[in-house]
Amino acid sequence: MLASIRPDSINIALLVHVAGAMTLVGALVTAATAAVVGWRDETSTLSRLSYKTLLYAALPSYIVMRIGAEWTYSKEKLDQQPSDPAWVGIGFIISDLGAVLLLLALILGGIGLRRSRSGGGSGLLKASSVIATVLVAAYIVAIWAMGAKPT
Amino acid sequence: MDFYDWALAFHLLAAFSIAAALVLYSVLVVAGRRMETLEQTRLLFRVAPVGGPLIGVGMGLVLVLGIVLAIDSDTFQVWDPWVIAAIVLWALFAEVGRRTGAYYTETQKLAESGGAGVETDVLARLRAPAGARLHYANVAIFLLLLLDMIFKPGA
Repeated sequence: MLASIRPDSINIALLVHVAGAMTLVGALVTAATAAVVGWRDETSTLSRLSYKTLLYAALPSYIVMRIGAEWTYSKEKLDQQPSDPAWVGIGFIISDLGAVLLLLALILGGIGLRRSRSGGGSGLLKASSVIATVLVAAYIVAIWAMGAKPT
Repeated sequence: MDFYDWALAFHLLAAFSIAAALVLYSVLVVAGRRMETLEQTRLLFRVAPVGGPLIGVGMGLVLVLGIVLAIDSDTFQVWDPWVIAAIVLWALFAEVGRRTGAYYTETQKLAESGGAGVETDVLARLRAPAGARLHYANVAIFLLLLLDMIFKPGA
């Protein structure tokens, strides 16, 4: 209920955070789907599409989401409280681990894509898509926490 | 956590589901314009079906839960201008989405028909501005919905 009557000054920060998060989740869903569908693809069309989606959509939108998160956190003066509410803690944990996993997926996918030109790299590409799928699941938990705000 | 919190969480998840489908379709629209062979376009169309359930379930849940939230809330009413604006935008989004879906479904059927000269037609349809314009119009409507939800004009 409190979220629905927040002051207007927070809205722009929240818009940046939500828009970044929506694009991030969409990019992860797209990358994971393209990679999984492309597992049985002889060409690397879908693997390349998956990797480019992670690199050009997921990574920038993660940065936008995180900037928006910090901005909203500051605007809501949550940084002045003695301890973070549980839902903020869930958000930060998933966001921080998400950054590490996203970078790992990008590194593995990049190496895998490079090796795929000489016929290898399928294992690395699969690992990258599995990480993207795990990230989708993790961000679903984060979205639930941001909406339900469990204490 | 009470009923309102749960409904809000699932309302948000439904909105993210729609957004995820829009990002997926955006990637496919952009990638589709760069495809050079019929085989490549068929691969793209194998990715697209994920968007259907995401957008379908998301659209249903976001509307139902949005109305439930407005009824349950002590702060807002269903007849508040920003809630009515959201319902109008939802209907507009659904209609533009239906037209976009029809355009690309027809292109997919053409790609799968495999007849002579199909490749040129499919690639031309994917590069034509008609489908992309419809899709970007839908993205714009969704952004308006997002602005309406966050800023709640008139509330």
